[in-house]
Amino acid sequence: MAREKINITIDGRKVAVTKDTYLLQILRDHGIPVPTLCHHKDLTPAGSCRFCIVEVEQKGRKKLVTSCNYPVRGEIKVETQSERVRKHRKTLAEMYLARWPKVPVVQQLAALCGATDADKFKSELTDENPQACILCGHCVRACEEFILEKIIDFAGRGIKRHLTMPFGVVDPHCIGCTSCAYVCPTGAIQIIDDMNHPADAKLIRDYGMKINAEMATLDKDQCRMREVGTANIVDVMDAYDLLPVHNYKFGSHPDTPKINSVTLKEKYFTQHMPDGCWKGCSMACAKTIDGFELKTGPYRGQRVMVDGPEYETAAACANMGCFDGDFVAEFNFYCDTYGVDTISVGTCMAFVMECYENGIITQKETGGKELKFGAREEVLQCLHEMAEGKGFGVEVGQGIRRLKEKWIGELGADPDFLQDIGMEAKGLEYSEYMCKESLAQQVGYTMAVKGPQHDEAWLIFMDMVNNQIPSFEDKAEALYYYPLWRTWFGLHGLCKLLWNDVVPLSNKKYKPQEAAKVPEHVEDFFKFHEGMTGIPLDEESMLKQSARVHNLQRVMCRMLGFGTRKDDLPPYRAVGPVTKEEYESRAEKYYDKQLKEIMGVDPEGKSTEEKMEITRKYRMDQYIKAMNAAYKRRGWNENGIPTIARLKELGIDLPELVEIIQGDQ
Amino acid sequence: MITVNNRDKIEWREGLTVQALLDKMNYDYALITVTVNDELIPEEEYESCVLKDNADVCVFHLAHGG
Repeated sequence: MAREKINITIDGRKVAVTKDTYLLQILRDHGIPVPTLCHHKDLTPAGSCRFCIVEVEQKGRKKLVTSCNYPVRGEIKVETQSERVRKHRKTLAEMYLARWPKVPVVQQLAALCGATDADKFKSELTDENPQACILCGHCVRACEEFILEKIIDFAGRGIKRHLTMPFGVVDPHCIGCTSCAYVCPTGAIQIIDDMNHPADAKLIRDYGMKINAEMATLDKDQCRMREVGTANIVDVMDAYDLLPVHNYKFGSHPDTPKINSVTLKEKYFTQHMPDGCWKGCSMACAKTIDGFELKTGPYRGQRVMVDGPEYETAAACANMGCFDGDFVAEFNFYCDTYGVDTISVGTCMAFVMECYENGIITQKETGGKELKFGAREEVLQCLHEMAEGKGFGVEVGQGIRRLKEKWIGELGADPDFLQDIGMEAKGLEYSEYMCKESLAQQVGYTMAVKGPQHDEAWLIFMDMVNNQIPSFEDKAEALYYYPLWRTWFGLHGLCKLLWNDVVPLSNKKYKPQEAAKVPEHVEDFFKFHEGMTGIPLDEESMLKQSARVHNLQRVMCRMLGFGTRKDDLPPYRAVGPVTKEEYESRAEKYYDKQLKEIMGVDPEGKSTEEKMEITRKYRMDQYIKAMNAAYKRRGWNENGIPTIARLKELGIDLPELVEIIQGDQ
Repeated sequence: MITVNNRDKIEWREGLTVQALLDKMNYDYALITVTVNDELIPEEEYESCVLKDNADVCVFHLAHGG
């Protein structure tokens, strides 16, 4: 959102500035030199050194202000070089110079402010060490703002002020992230050891600190990972019609606010604590609920810590129609405690619920549970049964593929309908994105080697919202690059979230196709690789490294009995509307519109069944074409098997691998 | 008529700004890049950038999550 503009006068010159911008920033943007010592571009302004003072006149009254932490909120006149300003700066510089006469940054600042007399304020405090701590506080703020820790801080007042760890001893909570040393302007904090012996520790540190700074300065206006973690995606997916609701029938729901990030933050998540997967992570997105009182199960009545919920868990609850924060927390806790995946349980339960609502199963099968969408208590009962190894919960625990087989065989359920609504491929349940309106996402999901999870290819925004990859070739290219890129950083233990859940401001200078890759963060990851191994990397070599593993995975997938064309075919629910209810509720926005505008079919006068049939034929045909294009781009044959030529090209044509796929060529 | 993302057609009106267009499309996502006729528009100009009729607007949502 663009912010209000204000007219101010700087040294007699009128300029329009954005309201609430700090004055120092404005002065620097206009090329006006202002001396600073405690200021750091990536840290919260402190205003403690006072070198950045300027004279501000507002409503006829003049006063000196520290420009670094002075937000401009009204019409003001600013003088940056008045006699009063220069005199104050010079005196300050003389005091600093007297105390730390050999520190280079102090000497440079003194020269800028016209201070030459190092003896004027000389005292018993004078420290001749050229690497002395000058109490700028960069390290204190870096510890808190980059890493969310408070390992290092000031103690004492006045002339006794000094830097220390709690109680003057080395704090065991310090993980040696080196942020404090990195921002120290004098060298008072030194790095004396580099664990793990990287090839180039400085390179890793340079690029790592860049990410730390982005987290500290940008996250609050971007994805708010530090506040709410991936739960922020609940709000976004609901707004863009991509949140799975009622077994992926719909993409949003009026009750989503009951489980979105606003509610989770207000009522559940513990705030203001470092909350990363490991100490020192500057993103710290692994949110936690503390002191949650359980209402069911073996720990009923106990207050526990819930590790989450993350997006996928909250969205799985939307998929089951359970829009209740307490339920989300309890479901999250027990899935974690029992060691089952919230995605697989959520998607499987959503399938069970749809089967129940369609009369495919009844209370006879569910053990008396009325498993309609939104049945929170019943879902938790199933979960506890699953863990105890008894009742209907055990069957749910087998997953959708087994349930389909069982109910077709034992109950005579319609196999076509179960295949259409059972959201699994290769035996794995789909993760929590409603992909019906995004062809590239459908293919990315279903072709994923380990089953339809999203860390291989997440193209839903690029395709559905941005319309950025319209042709089959465009989609195939995205389905080539992104799975390989994601596989690559996964292999290197690099977190996906630092790639595109915080984005440098300069990313806006790229045109969309390039911007989607977040080129500067790809570069960061390459530099981490180079810093650790000593081997420089570019896009081509990254893709080759990754393709070797990705193709190996596909061959192994084949070895395990999956990984051919039939395994890459989705349930129709992933591609289009299975039921009349689904079609009719979204006809105007998607289906009738597409019939008319894309397929050239006039929906007028046609029954819903007729329109559904035409839509289904068209969408499945599109899916097949996109899948074929992706196979071709990846160097796989029409049956989805890597060609031996492709294995040769990648240098992985080992006899034991060739043997597995020989018969499929 | 304004074209958004080579697909959506939005009625043009005198004085329509980039911000008003984003509001109309309900595009309130945090990580958006906008181009108008292939030219990048800085975020601080969304409210002042007035669209001409037949403008080709690309509203690019960077894919976070997933």
